[in-house]
Amino acid sequence: MVRFKSRYLLCEIVFENPLSRQCIEEKNIYKTVKDAIVRAHGDFGFGCCSLSLAVKYLNAYTGIILLRCRKDFYRVLWSALPFITFLENKNQKYPCFFNTLHVGGTIRTCQKFLIQYNRKQLLLLLKDCKTKGERESVERSVLSCSLKELEGDRS
Amino acid sequence: MALFADLNIVNTSDTDRKRLQSLIENAAHLGYSTVAINHVAEFQGKKLEIAKPIAVTELYPSPPIVQGKSKPIKILTRLTVIVSDAAHCNDLRITSPHTRSYDIVAVLPKTEKLFHVACMTLDIDLICINVIEKQPFHFRRPSVNGAIERGIYFELAYSPAIKDSTMRRYTISNALSLMQICKGKNIIMSSAAERPLELRGPYDIANLGLLFGLTEGDAKAALSTNCRAALLHGETRKTALGVIYTVKKASATEEKDEGTPLSKRAKTKSD
Repeated sequence: MVRFKSRYLLCEIVFENPLSRQCIEEKNIYKTVKDAIVRAHGDFGFGCCSLSLAVKYLNAYTGIILLRCRKDFYRVLWSALPFITFLENKNQKYPCFFNTLHVGGTIRTCQKFLIQYNRKQLLLLLKDCKTKGERESVERSVLSCSLKELEGDRS
Repeated sequence: MALFADLNIVNTSDTDRKRLQSLIENAAHLGYSTVAINHVAEFQGKKLEIAKPIAVTELYPSPPIVQGKSKPIKILTRLTVIVSDAAHCNDLRITSPHTRSYDIVAVLPKTEKLFHVACMTLDIDLICINVIEKQPFHFRRPSVNGAIERGIYFELAYSPAIKDSTMRRYTISNALSLMQICKGKNIIMSSAAERPLELRGPYDIANLGLLFGLTEGDAKAALSTNCRAALLHGETRKTALGVIYTVKKASATEEKDEGTPLSKRAKTKSD
């Protein structure tokens, strides 16, 4: 059975200014990643990564993105990601960097990892909660993390 | 489970605590279990001023917790001395009082002779490889092999590569020339980060190691096991001054006394 095998890179975009998370869009990220590949690996990199490069998932509140590329060339893409220093949107530059969390063969494995990761983040937030109301809403979110539902909402 | 360490976080000025704190919090968020704050000492004229290291407890009453583990991040201090003249190395030969207070001591040699001296005789843990400019000398195999036998590690910094395109070229060419001689052994990769945005996650850096010519296992080791080995080397340099090795021998005392002249023999022996 011939099937195109791909690799999914789960990345977190960490911004200098947390408010600028609202401004990320699929097209901007796609363009930034392509430019970074061209700068790092030239025309060869661009050619082999653009085969099935796509932004599959984007969460503007937490800054998590899921990139897809071919299995044979995912290293080319992965090695270009550390060189990204800013995202551009409407002629404004937002300084940021990409932090790769997980590489998976299917979207489902990445989703499983993301649920575990979000649960750990929520537990860290629970430690810093100051009011009782915040604690309760975070605890409810932690309990609702499971594969059957969507990823747990951050409070 | 490998512990990742980032052994180079630049301390540009003593007064900027907030920047250091945000850097360390960022490193904890990315998953580094150990960081080392780097004090760079350069020679002005003939005098070298080595400042006292920053007190770690002043920075944080309770350090931030590492992402993914439940322990707080470990913060160490490190000294880097930039040497361009043979007279500068006197502080590094014997354990001088200045370098004792630092956990790790590193040197950045600027000439080939100094590189050889640093590999063979100086009392250090790390040798920094210059990534900002074209290397004026080639690495020699006997020096590099001597350093590997002594347990000294070579350090590659990656944040200039992130900042500027020409630095990227120098970083890759210097790293590849080192790789050809040492075959990937005894390499450490660290950020020379001044701002929190210049840090990168450990898996991203292991991938950058592939670009520099390391194998996959070597690249991951460059961030975890080699860093730990360099830290242990620093600890033994701080604590151990000599080793006494005793061997059980049947007639040890008599043989020893025969060699010394009569007047100096032990008076306690019954004559």
